[in-house]
Amino acid sequence: MKLATHAALDALCGEYLLGALRGPARRRFDRALRDEPLVASRLRHWEGLAPRYSTAIEIQPSNRVWQRLASSLELTRHRDPWYRRERFWIAVSAAMAVVLVIAFTLQVLQQRDVIDEVEIALLSGKDNAPQVSAHRSRDGRTLMLRSTRPLTAGAAKSYELWVIPAEGGDPVSLAVLASLDARLAIPVPHAGRLKPGATLAVSVEPAGGSPTGKPTGPVILAGKIG
Amino acid sequence: MRTAARDEGSAEAFERLYKMAAPLLLGVAARIVGRIELAEEVLHDSFTKIWQVAGTFDPLATRPVAWMVAIARNRAIDLRTSRDVSSVEAQDEGSIFDWSEGADETEDRRRNAQWLRDCLARLEAVERQALVLSYQHGLSHSELAQQLAKPLGTVKTWVRRGLANLRQCVETRMAAAR
Repeated sequence: MKLATHAALDALCGEYLLGALRGPARRRFDRALRDEPLVASRLRHWEGLAPRYSTAIEIQPSNRVWQRLASSLELTRHRDPWYRRERFWIAVSAAMAVVLVIAFTLQVLQQRDVIDEVEIALLSGKDNAPQVSAHRSRDGRTLMLRSTRPLTAGAAKSYELWVIPAEGGDPVSLAVLASLDARLAIPVPHAGRLKPGATLAVSVEPAGGSPTGKPTGPVILAGKIG
Repeated sequence: MRTAARDEGSAEAFERLYKMAAPLLLGVAARIVGRIELAEEVLHDSFTKIWQVAGTFDPLATRPVAWMVAIARNRAIDLRTSRDVSSVEAQDEGSIFDWSEGADETEDRRRNAQWLRDCLARLEAVERQALVLSYQHGLSHSELAQQLAKPLGTVKTWVRRGLANLRQCVETRMAAAR
């Protein structure tokens, strides 16, 4: 059973935050955190209430902790980090993006029949919003979003992807996203909802996703699954 | 903080982050594992994870310190043995948690802290003690029962009822504020 729909989800979040969940129960919750966006957003909601620790509990670690870290992570290798500098990476990613676009186009042109994914919807919004195409893998497990231009949620904001069922009803959260270029595992209980007639939509939410489980911010993109 | 580590990706930023957060994380870990050597193990593992994921992971966390504390807490809970639990000491929540309003806090955060404090104060004393002790030391129900020398069933009830009452109280305030 999925935890996202578990009647005791809030109670489980509480016990997880306390540290009271152990063994299989804790591992199950950790798995759900990874696989079920709703569980993760619910936990973040309650995490936001956790009290701050007082500085009185601070303990200075001994030097050997840092020394051990520095050697085990080989930090000295990063001391002169030309290859980790921001500008370098921007240049590299720009170059890679060009290569990828070319490679992708070539793949589409030459091997149309062996692509293992299919475009299911094109999401668009107002004015200068980018268009985002949604692709589903042939095995139906993965959803890929590709934006016509990169767009990343601002500070303290997240994008949340919703599916509005074809038969109507409340939007269902599929994922909380930092960027509109994304690849996500389709939550199993919702896989069946991604069918023609349903609508995919992206809203802007507080960081970590909607605190209520329903969209709370503006919907910036939407598109029907065809 | 973490943003600095991510943007520069450099060892310098990571070292600054370590200097800033390590004492807090060690304090949190020590409260859970009870032994300083094991707590330093937790600290090492936590920062290893922070280094590994800082560049790629969790752009969603709004409070980097809370994110790091959660990593340390989880690691401490995983590493702790039942022998360590017996060495933890009960302490008043007043000295463990900082209820003051930090200047860097958002309005939401200040409001949340106020609600939590009010709602904790409204709980039965045994429920409050069970929640605070459990959170402070990351205790399972049976470890908590051992600490308090009470039957497991009783302690379970305190924790569950405490959490349920706390949630209801906070949710009422949230709804009223909307």
